[in-house]
Parts: sequence; structure tokens; C-alpha cells
Amino acid sequence: MTEMIRVRELRKTFQVARRSSGLLGTLRSLVTPEFKAVQAVDGVSFSLQEGELVGYLGPNGAGKSTTLKVLTGLLVPTSGEIVVNGQVPWQDRTRYVARIGAVFGQRTSLWWDLPLIDSLELLRPMYRIPDVRFRNNLRDFTDLLEMSSFLHTPVRSLSLGQRMRADLAAALMHEPALLFLDEPTIGLDVVAKERIRQFIQHIHENRRTTVILTTHDLSDVEKLCERVIILDHGRMLYDGGLTALVERFEGSRSLVVTFGEAVADATLPNLPTPRIEGLQAIYPFDGKEVTAVMLIEQVFARFRVADIEIRRPEIEETIRKIYEQKLLI
Amino acid sequence: MSRLWGLYIRLIGIQIRSQLQYRVSFLMELLSTGLLNGTYFLALVLIFERFKSVAGWTLGEVAFLAGLIEMSFASMDMIFSGFDPDSFSTKIRSGTLDQMLLRPLPIALQVLGSRWELRRMGRILEGLVIFGVALNLSPVNWTVGKMIYLPVVFLSQVLAFGALFIMGSTLTFWTVQPVEAVNILTYGGNELMTYPATIYPIWLQRFFTYAVPFIFLNYYPALYFLDKPDLLGLTPLAPFLAPLAAAAMMTIAVLFWRFGVDHYQSTGS
Repeated sequence: MTEMIRVRELRKTFQVARRSSGLLGTLRSLVTPEFKAVQAVDGVSFSLQEGELVGYLGPNGAGKSTTLKVLTGLLVPTSGEIVVNGQVPWQDRTRYVARIGAVFGQRTSLWWDLPLIDSLELLRPMYRIPDVRFRNNLRDFTDLLEMSSFLHTPVRSLSLGQRMRADLAAALMHEPALLFLDEPTIGLDVVAKERIRQFIQHIHENRRTTVILTTHDLSDVEKLCERVIILDHGRMLYDGGLTALVERFEGSRSLVVTFGEAVADATLPNLPTPRIEGLQAIYPFDGKEVTAVMLIEQVFARFRVADIEIRRPEIEETIRKIYEQKLLI
Repeated sequence: MSRLWGLYIRLIGIQIRSQLQYRVSFLMELLSTGLLNGTYFLALVLIFERFKSVAGWTLGEVAFLAGLIEMSFASMDMIFSGFDPDSFSTKIRSGTLDQMLLRPLPIALQVLGSRWELRRMGRILEGLVIFGVALNLSPVNWTVGKMIYLPVVFLSQVLAFGALFIMGSTLTFWTVQPVEAVNILTYGGNELMTYPATIYPIWLQRFFTYAVPFIFLNYYPALYFLDKPDLLGLTPLAPFLAPLAAAAMMTIAVLFWRFGVDHYQSTGS
């Protein structure tokens, strides 16, 4: 396997003008502007192999967009070694960007006034795409993204979901080895989201395109990413498999028991004390010392049970915990 | 190279086609820009009704200055629409510039191809009419040299104004908002070059000779075309410095532009 992205000690510091308040302050900052250094990315290192699909996660302001801008060559970092696809992204720009694809969710790269098909046609000379390959890709993407109904509609009249599909197709027409997606499902409905996810999955599996995506929607992560990198305040909190991440938190699985009658004392011998909510008792268990089977047997032996349910920690919950507790794993 | 040229033509074609979609409104705009700017010239005519000549220049001769600079400024305003600092600063703010950086094409080409204000044709035509009036009132003694040099002067003026647009846009990498002072040079420069340089105070003449070489772009070439004497006593080569002045301004503009793009990529927006 070849290395697609290598990031070593990436740092990006922004000089942000400090604005003083009041008229006098405004005048002063006009004459002698004060700057505050903001560390957007602070020593991030990771490496991606060809054909990987990685979720790049973090709360707002964590440094996701800054990293993506550096990786796409839009931004030159303050320091750090970055090699993508054998090139330094911000050097020899036109050669570099010809081999990557990027979709920044909020913005379109298409021509507002042109029918979608003309917009896509324009990419052919731009990326020097051979005719046959262009036609094949157009046919495939039109199929997979169900674009035939709006291929001749001007881009400005497309719905958000249609536009996102169109932008994805546009980013992949030239068959880049690497695809950057910034919030590809933002603002879309459930069906549209699912369609986008399936398409990303398809491209990743069939074309072995390396994909790095940022998202706030953790279902994107759950359905697409084998590996996640979690960022907060410019630092990396986690880099590893998604399953491994969730397993670490499996300890917080719990058995929810709904009793058939009021129970005076729901405590079970040698087992953790349950949390009581009306007729429900919630028993936490780790799956190792205390297994679900043990718990269920004991509960059935002692009480009249109306219903039981095993609750798993949700990824959303897990990642929220990581942010909140600043867990470095 | 031919690929880039072809793409440039296609990008402009898109702009033109979308502007022609609303034919009536386009024609109205064409007419109103032409007429609006034409009224300035009518004011000039009225002045000459009373004074007959200004600083030794007749109406026909001033019309030569006015018509030529009007045509070239309006052409520049059309060709370099994308570099109009007002529209360029919105490209930075809206992230359009980032999208351009992601395309395997020179940024300048994409900026030029992003806008082409066809309605400036109205003003170009207006300039052409004034120029026609000029040739009627004070006929030029055409020589081969003059016939070759006229388009050179026109192109030099277009490039010189274009250079100012590029510099004005580059400034917005730092200021975000367009800098009003740039308009003094562009729109003000257009206005200034409408009249013979000798009507201005010495310090202003000097400024537009040595700092911003406007004087070589319209006034001096006009002396050559109209066979008028040089009252300022510069070198006899002065009428032929227009392409040099334009090339110098464009070189500075391009270098500044590159510096600006580098700055943008290291600071973000």
C-alpha cells in the first residue's frame, strides 16, 4: 500500500485583529492594529494509505476546515511537513489540484447560469479529460446519483440535494486519486443524505479513491468510516478505528427493565446499583465481569418483568463524551 | 496555450449568453450607459460654445482625447470586469476565489473569465461617436505611422487601466473591502485624460508623468496624431512612450497580484 497523505506536526497560526470597543478604540485599532495569534491547528500528525476512507471530526473551531484547506493547497501552513499524492499541496498549484477532487458543502464549484450538463462539459478541457472517459463517467454518475431529471436544469435552479449530487459528480469527473469532502450532507434530508453516502461508499469501493471527510452528522461516520480522526482546539484527540473507539465505551451498556408491578428494592446482590425511573430500572454493565445474560437471569428470577431492553452507547454520545472530557486516547 | 485561450473564450461566452437572456433589459442598459456618459461630452460642447478653445485646444482636438480615452476605458471596464475591485472583493468574501484556487487554471484567467459586462458596449459606442466627431472637426493628417500607432495607443490605454483594476483588486486581499482611493486613479484618471495635460497645475502634471505615467497614454500620443507642439518640453520620444508606460504598469500589477495571492494563501480569509 502506498501512502497517500503524510502530515507531520502541522501547525497553523492565524493573526486575528483585536478590535477594541467604542469609537476611540476603533480609531486606535485603525492606527495601531493589535493582533492576537490564534492556533487553529496545533501539531497534528497522521498518515493515510491509498484507498482509505477517514472521517475527520471535531466540534466547531476544532481546526477541521483549516486542515482541509491546507491539504487542498488553499492555505500555506505556519509549519509542518505535508506530502499529499507525492506533492506539497501549495506548490505547483495547477498540477496539484488537477489530481484531487474537493467538495466544500456550502459552496458550489459549478457555473450558476449554466445547465448542469454544460457545467460538467466545461470540466473536460479544464482537466484534460479524454472523451471516452468523460462520457463513461457522466453516464455512471448520472445513474448512481440519479441526475438525469435535472441534467439540463441551470445550476441556480437546483435544490440543495441535487446541487450537492451535482458537485460530487463534478469533483469526480477527472477521476482524482483523492477526494476531500467538507460537510457533504449538511442541510440535506434523510433520503438525500443516504443517497450521498451510498455514492461515496460506491466510489470508495469501486475506484479505490482515498476519501477524507469532515462532518457533523455522526450517521455519516457510522455508515462510512472505518477510521476516524478526532480533533479539538487544534489538537488530535483520537486517531484509530471506529469500532475500537466504541468498544472503549462499551462499559456503559445498560439493561433497562420495566417491571410489571411496583418494586420496593430493585437492587441485585453483587451487581451495580440500578438507576430507578418510575417502573423502570436501569442496570449498567460492562459485558466482562457482569454479562447481559447474568443480569437478565437474576432480574427474571426476582421480579415480574413487563419488558427489557439493552441500551448501547451511541456514537454520538461517545464522541460527545470525548469532546467534553477532552479524552486523549 | 491554445487550451487556455479556448477555455477563456468559453468562460466569457457563458457570461455573454447569460446577459443576453434578458434582451430588452440589456438593450435599455446599453442605451442608458451610452446616453448618461454622452451628457458629459455635451457639457464640454457647451463650454466650447462660449470659449472656442481651452489651453490652445479646439473642441475637435479635445474630442479626440475624450473619444479615445472613453473607448479604451469602457473596453477595459468590459474586459477586466472580473478585476473590478468591487466585484473582486465579493469573490474573496463569498469563497469564489477558493473555488478558483481548486481549479487547474491560472487564477487571473479565471477571474477574467468570471465576468464580462457587455453593457459597457454602450459606453464604447458613445466613445466611438465622440471620436468620429473629433475626426470630423479636426481631421488628422493620416500617415502610415499614425495608422499603425493608433491601435497601439488604444491597447496601451486598455492595459494601463486594467493594471490599475488588478492593483485595486489585489489591495482587497488585505483590506477585504475595496479601497475608494483606487477609484481616484481609475475613474479619476479617465476624467483627467479627457482634457489636455496643460490645463492642470504643475504638481499634478508631474505626478501623472513620473508617479502614474498617464500623460504618456493620451496627451502625448494626441500631440503626435494632431501635429501639435509639446509645450512641456519633454523628450521628442514622449508621444511614443504609451506602450512602455502600459507595460511598466502591467508588470507592476502582475507582480503585486502574485504577491497578493501568496499573501492570501498564507493568511486565509
